Amino acid sequence: MSAMVDSDSVYAIAESVFSAMIDGDEGLLLPWEGDLPQFADPLYAWVDLLGEWQGRAALTTEAPTAHALARALLMMGDDEVVSDADLIDAFGEIANVVGGNVKALLPTQGTLGLPRVDAVLPPHEGGSLSQELRLSWRGQPIVVAVWLFG
Amino acid sequence: MRALVIDDSRTMRRIVSGTLHNLGFETVEAEHGQAALDVLDSGVHVDLACIDWNMPVMDGLTFVTQVRADPALRDITLMMVTTESEQSQIVRALAAGAHEYLIKPFTADAIREKLEWLGLVPAEEYV
Ligand SMILES: [Mg+2]
Repeated sequence: MSAMVDSDSVYAIAESVFSAMIDGDEGLLLPWEGDLPQFADPLYAWVDLLGEWQGRAALTTEAPTAHALARALLMMGDDEVVSDADLIDAFGEIANVVGGNVKALLPTQGTLGLPRVDAVLPPHEGGSLSQELRLSWRGQPIVVAVWLFG
Repeated sequence: MRALVIDDSRTMRRIVSGTLHNLGFETVEAEHGQAALDVLDSGVHVDLACIDWNMPVMDGLTFVTQVRADPALRDITLMMVTTESEQSQIVRALAAGAHEYLIKPFTADAIREKLEWLGLVPAEEYV
């Protein structure tokens, strides 16, 4: 099942989301080189894929990176404080767009859950990891993971 | 020109609205289809609606269907702006009455091109 959601496709999705929505330019999202450091203060954004093919698409970053992503999306200054509501909305929308495009790779499409953001990622029953991309955005680690339970 | 930007994500509403402002539109925002219908019912006239699909309370496809069922709203141009990128979903939205379909993620240029195509902004002159 990982064949239909291969890492190149997920990387292409992540790359287009970051270049179109966040950076306005390509090349700021790169593969992470070397070992990924343990997240000290992780924040997760995810959407569940519902229907015949069930799954989840999730992003993990350090909380300060999630704040930086929200500032970039909302065109805020580097020292502006991001409210919790804006953080959840902006980081969640990135997961929503990634998840919607991952859903399109599946053989049959169901529906997308609404995006969620939290400091813990609740386990998904019977989940098996399909892809885990370790990426670097402006030098900070971001993990994009896709689970499928077809 | 006035546009109604319908998306449950205020981040996305701000991105879409910002792009439309640069193209000379005024914008009104709604967080789901029902809120958007309420805006239209209150007498606000819009030329364009940019519609997310996946929203609580009333999704974008239901909104399109409801607008198309109301002859008083027939002048509004309906453009889906959504992560639902499968061909089958595009066909469903167009069959329900949407005029155009823009897949997230999109660039500001992509919105402008769709609106040029729809005749809502003048075509950019290429020298
Ligand atoms: Mg949405």
